[in-house]
Amino acid sequence: MIASIARKEFSEIVRDGRFKWTAGIMALLLLTALAAGYQKYSAHMGIQRLSQDRTNAQWLNQGDKNPHSGAHYGNYAFKPAGPLAFFDNGINNYAGTALFMEAHKQNFAVGRPASDQSSIGRFGDLSGATILQLLMPLLIIFLGFTAFSGERESGTLRQVMSMGVSNRQLLWGKALGIGFAVLLVVGLCAIVGGVALSLTDLSADAASLGARVALISASYLLYGAIFLFLTLAVSAWAKTARTALMVLVGFWAFAGFLAPKAAVEISKAAHPTPAFGKWMADMRSHQMRGFDGVPPFVRFEQEAEEIFAQYGAESIAELPVYVGALRLQKFEEYDFPVFEEHYGRLRDSYTSQRRLQDRLGIVAPTLPLRSLSMALAGTDLIRHVEFADAAEAYRRDMVLKVNDYLATAAASFNTVGGTFVAEEAVFAMVPPFEFESQGLGATLSEHAGNFIALLLWLGFALLLALWAVRRLSVEEDR
Amino acid sequence: MKRIIISHETRQLFRSGAFRSLLLLVAGAIAFAAWSGQRSIDRQIEGATAAAAFEDTQRARMRGDTERYEAQVLAEGGQYEFAGARHAPGAGPPQGTNAGAVGASTSKYLTMPPTGLASFSIGQSDIQLNYVPVSMNPTMYITKDNELENPVNLMTGAFDIAFVVIFLLPIFILAISYDLLSSEKERGTLAMILAHPISLKELMASKIIARAGLLLAGVLLLGLAALFAVGTNLSSADTWARFGLWMSATLLYTLFWFAMSVLVNVYGKNSAANGIALAGTWLALVVVVPTLVSLLATTLYPAPSRMELTTAARAAQTEAEKDYMARLDEYYYDHLEFVPEGDERAMDFLTVAMSNRSAIEKAVRPLYDGFQAQLNRQESLVQRFQFISPAIMMQLALNEISGTSANRYEHFLNQAYAFHEEWGEYFTVRFLQRYPLKPADYDRFPAFDYREEPFGTVLMRLLPSLLGMLVLLTGALLIPFLALRRYQVATS
Repeated sequence: MIASIARKEFSEIVRDGRFKWTAGIMALLLLTALAAGYQKYSAHMGIQRLSQDRTNAQWLNQGDKNPHSGAHYGNYAFKPAGPLAFFDNGINNYAGTALFMEAHKQNFAVGRPASDQSSIGRFGDLSGATILQLLMPLLIIFLGFTAFSGERESGTLRQVMSMGVSNRQLLWGKALGIGFAVLLVVGLCAIVGGVALSLTDLSADAASLGARVALISASYLLYGAIFLFLTLAVSAWAKTARTALMVLVGFWAFAGFLAPKAAVEISKAAHPTPAFGKWMADMRSHQMRGFDGVPPFVRFEQEAEEIFAQYGAESIAELPVYVGALRLQKFEEYDFPVFEEHYGRLRDSYTSQRRLQDRLGIVAPTLPLRSLSMALAGTDLIRHVEFADAAEAYRRDMVLKVNDYLATAAASFNTVGGTFVAEEAVFAMVPPFEFESQGLGATLSEHAGNFIALLLWLGFALLLALWAVRRLSVEEDR
Repeated sequence: MKRIIISHETRQLFRSGAFRSLLLLVAGAIAFAAWSGQRSIDRQIEGATAAAAFEDTQRARMRGDTERYEAQVLAEGGQYEFAGARHAPGAGPPQGTNAGAVGASTSKYLTMPPTGLASFSIGQSDIQLNYVPVSMNPTMYITKDNELENPVNLMTGAFDIAFVVIFLLPIFILAISYDLLSSEKERGTLAMILAHPISLKELMASKIIARAGLLLAGVLLLGLAALFAVGTNLSSADTWARFGLWMSATLLYTLFWFAMSVLVNVYGKNSAANGIALAGTWLALVVVVPTLVSLLATTLYPAPSRMELTTAARAAQTEAEKDYMARLDEYYYDHLEFVPEGDERAMDFLTVAMSNRSAIEKAVRPLYDGFQAQLNRQESLVQRFQFISPAIMMQLALNEISGTSANRYEHFLNQAYAFHEEWGEYFTVRFLQRYPLKPADYDRFPAFDYREEPFGTVLMRLLPSLLGMLVLLTGALLIPFLALRRYQVATS
């Protein structure tokens, strides 16, 4: 029985002009978005690869110079786009792409593509993800809002019920019918997109690509199912088709447009992001007065004795290492806790904001889905933080290696004075920078809550639909 | 008759719970938007103040050193001398006497003041810093820093009044007017009404006037309330002129959506079909078309990659460093008239660093200009394509009105670039001459005063968007009223 209802629903929808138009437009947009996304992705990855190789080579060919000047010359970390960025570009437009790794300073990744774009870019990206997040639910609503209300208005609901079909059978049948119709559009595009992408060299990188694709597909299926059952529930509950439509469109606009922005503002109020100027002034003053209130120059004076004792030296002349290099490294290390505190404070505010936004997903399923989709595509905050951490670890190691080398190689300069110049070849002691993502582990544990939120939404939508069909009334009571 | 219908509709709307809760929603959204807009502007001001204060303190401390040094010279006799650049604290004249050290180790923060209506439309002001540092570093350092914000928040965009007007108002309008005629027809009351001495045209007009009148009065009053709550510079004419423009833009945009409802009602069939058509139109005009235009702009005129710029700048740096003697010559050649006699080759660390910087600046400048050029091309493409979507016109108009547009920011940056020249020249010349800075010189450092664009310029930029909306509105109004003649009053 369910199967024949589903068949009837499916063929009715597919024959309808409404479906042909909306599905056609959506398919067109989806394919455009995937093509544009892929074009941007491959351009970005090409430039990223080229630039990283170039800057790594620049480090090695920087000429003969004082090793510490070499650390000032530094190196750059360029951020790769994330394995599924062509589908969901996530925060990539709004996060920096180039991170300068130099002596004395921890830096932010700069060069946000959005600041080199027209302000119209703020309307959003046309990506596969946005289309599935915003347009797919609307397609489901358009196809399904008449499922019960329309039949009631045309009087066919009474006939169907009189044939001994149970309310539940009707619900499952209609859900299957509409679901297949939507899958027909989305699935076809996914297959076309997948086949096109598999012809490129994209699938070669990212080890967890298969898992990512599977999880992301599951998330969007859940999301689609939520809207499907909500639509059926409202369609069964509403007295007229137009009421059903208005309620559903209202909810869709709320979930897709209003809720994300409201959640952002609420999270910003709960966990404010410091303004750049304030943050910068705080950190630099902290650096100058020293982490524990002892300025770096004073602290080094205090520690000088210890250092002398460590080397068993009485005077600078007896030191087996270059004191200038020791001081540079000490100063470097005095700043570590300051950086950790201030960059950490900023990062904590971002993380708390995101968690609060995820938790607000109980009012709109778009919120947890969006977060999940970005995370699985590797274009979210977690990955950005991972990248920044990798760059900072590299920076510290680079400076340490260079200062260590300077300390031993320039020991004689303790008494002679002047500037030690190293040969270019010594810079090879610092390996080239390569960003390797930690993989899916951290992402999954951080986003388990979003999966649960989607499941809860599906459960709620199902219960609502079951409740609505139980009290399904045949008459159009006015 | 028309008046009776309008007043009847108005009264009925007022009594309807749905309409009242809708108005409440609009009020709530505008209040929330005003609140979050103000927080955003407050944060910018806090950042600008803190950054400027920090750098000014650095300079004040250097000045304090020179004051003590001056007193010491006066007391003990001797020459007030110029200090060579040092990395660590040491004896002798303080670093504050060295113009090169002052100019290199401190920055001057320049601020673009927010307009009175800045909190109405955040625009790009959450990404671009409206306070930028000017120092002796190359020009590209002026725009090196970004405002700190969670990229997820930037991606989502601000919940400002512009969002409420552009995104939410049309949905509310569609909800109260998608079934203007169709509901009467479906209930069968339309034929009865038209049995009275009123034309269909008049009936439609009365219904739409009642709705538009109520909603617009509400929105404009709420806008005024928001202005008093979160607007600034309320005593200045500029703020009120901007608010006047905000009201006109909002009026045009809102009326356009009412006209769309009329259009759909005239051509539409039943209420549900009208609803689908209007929701689809909203989606197309407010969401899909703007993202397509943006995609077109970034595809046709992609910004050069910041990554490529970075590696190019580094190549220039390596070049300059390897060949620093030649760069030094070049640098001195550029500033020949300021080099003191017999000191053509002063070669301390700072001079070499400065000559390198100037070499990098020269090499990177053309690449860097490429960004602004592509951005300008993108903006002009958006300017041309704005006419296909009232949402784009409205966003451009509101950014312009609030002073958060790309154009005003460029106007600010151009002043910052000019000031950068002036500031750099001041310190470079005194540094090269080894002129010892005295405490009194600190008061003579170049000062920055932001010059606001003439209001006429803003108006001229705003005009295409406003006219475009007017044309769209007129079109959307004329077509349906002409077509009403053929409207079928009863369902057959």
